Amino acid sequence: MSSPAAVPAAGEGQWQRLHPLTPFVRGWKVVAALLVVIGQQRGGELVRTGIPSRSEALITLAVIVATALLGGLYAVLAWRRARYRVGADSLQLRTGVLFRHERATQLDRLQAVDVVRPLLARFFGLAELSLEVAGGGDSSIRLSLLREADAQALRSTLLARAAGLRFEGDVAPQAPERAVLEVSVGRLVESLVRDPVTVLGAALVTAAVLATIWFHLPAALAALLPIGFGLVGILWSRFTGGFGFIVATSPDGIRLHHGLLTTRSQTVPPGRVQALRLRQPLLWRGRDWWRVEVNVAGYGAGRNKEDREADEHLLLTVGTRAEALLVVSLVLTDPGSQSRPATYDDLSAELIQAGLTGRGSAAGFLSSPPRARLLDPIGWRRHGVRVTASVLLARRGVFRRELDIVPHERTQSLALLQGPLQRRLGVATFVLHSTRGPVTPRVQHLPALAAAQLLHQQAERATSARSDSAHDGRWMLGR
Amino acid sequence: MGPVCQHGSMQTGGDPFVPDDVSWHRVSPRLALARRLAMGVPLVVLALAALLGAALSSPVLALAALAPLLVLGWLWWLIGRQVAAIGYAERADDLLVRRGVMFRSLVVVPYGRMQFVDVEAGPLDRALGIARVQLHTASPGSDAAIPGLTPEQAARLRDTLARRGEARLAGL
Repeated sequence: MSSPAAVPAAGEGQWQRLHPLTPFVRGWKVVAALLVVIGQQRGGELVRTGIPSRSEALITLAVIVATALLGGLYAVLAWRRARYRVGADSLQLRTGVLFRHERATQLDRLQAVDVVRPLLARFFGLAELSLEVAGGGDSSIRLSLLREADAQALRSTLLARAAGLRFEGDVAPQAPERAVLEVSVGRLVESLVRDPVTVLGAALVTAAVLATIWFHLPAALAALLPIGFGLVGILWSRFTGGFGFIVATSPDGIRLHHGLLTTRSQTVPPGRVQALRLRQPLLWRGRDWWRVEVNVAGYGAGRNKEDREADEHLLLTVGTRAEALLVVSLVLTDPGSQSRPATYDDLSAELIQAGLTGRGSAAGFLSSPPRARLLDPIGWRRHGVRVTASVLLARRGVFRRELDIVPHERTQSLALLQGPLQRRLGVATFVLHSTRGPVTPRVQHLPALAAAQLLHQQAERATSARSDSAHDGRWMLGR
Repeated sequence: MGPVCQHGSMQTGGDPFVPDDVSWHRVSPRLALARRLAMGVPLVVLALAALLGAALSSPVLALAALAPLLVLGWLWWLIGRQVAAIGYAERADDLLVRRGVMFRSLVVVPYGRMQFVDVEAGPLDRALGIARVQLHTASPGSDAAIPGLTPEQAARLRDTLARRGEARLAGL
């Protein structure tokens, strides 16, 4: 161990180690999982047979210790093997004990940089740096774990290099950060109380209690338990994911901080948001609250389910309409960049209003004709799409309102779909394909010919919007 | 068999799924043969098994052979129509792919958005001399696949798409 502490970016081309506590912090999970398994298997026996014999206890202890040692040894080997290097325009990571793996990433392809701090790592002041690039599958590079200050310094260095900035020395200065808005715990809790999941849970509990009282069916309550756990789990993950939500701006892009146990600091550089969705469940309507979700290339492609948490797609967990529109404008205006049109500017208040809550063809929306009532008796009035100079707006939902916003230059491809009933009514479904994420713009039951026209115009706009912005991703160049 | 250009022959007035100013290429009818074989062999085996049963036990079982044959006939006809409905067109800036008889779809992929192109051919496809070209964008939703191309067509399309994509690609 010649270089015990990781010193990120201490010189170009030098291979660095991760923090020496990494094997300890990451290895505990193996031991914890083993303890749970043993606890489950032995716990029942303990109740039945009483205190186990001494030899039995010793064997169990030996198994635990041996597994911990083996797991620890592997974790140490993995740590000794892992090295990373920051080049002028790339980040490389070598890992693997038996199967060696080396990944190199071009920084100009960088889509987002997250500093994630799992609960245990927080006790030691450690953090994981994860760098998203746009790839087909899981294309991120995770440096796990680093000292927190090092992770932040490395983040600014990577972002500065990706932006095309020149700076003195090896470590870029921290970009100044300005908090724009903060979601209070009270509002988060209230938004969860008004969440459809809570409403569903309350309805189920009420039904079960009534069934127990009137029909003497206590089994109804028992049957409800697993569903109840599931619903509480969803609410809990929304609470922990959205806890302490802060939106901030910096020259590196928009910065989001959130999380209760595992905290996450996301930095999304300008122009990396592929699509946005504003969403309002029925019971948020009284407060006029909205949630904003985004597609960012690379997000949501994690290896396991734990990595594919929905909260990395959050731009605002809950906020008033003004706050929601503020974060939307932050993402769409690309502050400081002169080579792109200020996308948000051509969204008038009237247009936003019509998109969020409007029906029919107000504010120039192309909407479902009345004959589509046969296919969608309630929702038909809300289906609508509107194109401005720089974005496409797609809205839907009568009870849960949704508005999708996609800049033309982020359109990947388009489709027009038509089933037999739609064909008889002369309507068709317009679909816009964005990168992986929660935003999947789709407008049902538009007049078929107008939708086809829109399809071809939009394909043209997608092509020309892209060739206008002669931009290679390095957002600070040419300033 | 070279690319079959159907100038104007597939147009119907004002059909949203068939833009007027576009020349469509059809795919090889051998795709229909491939699909019919893949679907028909198990059904024929089923019908033969029923006939064998009829010969060994009661002649009433022969009626059971009718069901797979009816399904076969229907699918035979359907596959023909489906394959005939598949078409693609290379425009100046984007590729159009259309398919479907009952449930129709028309996909537009701007060349600049293509990330990579796959050409695939299974054993049956190779025996029949057809291949499938699949376009990939950065979106998992872009479902632009053209089955039933001759290998030469597929190679030519792959190269043109790659060339045009490169000329227009601008990051993500």
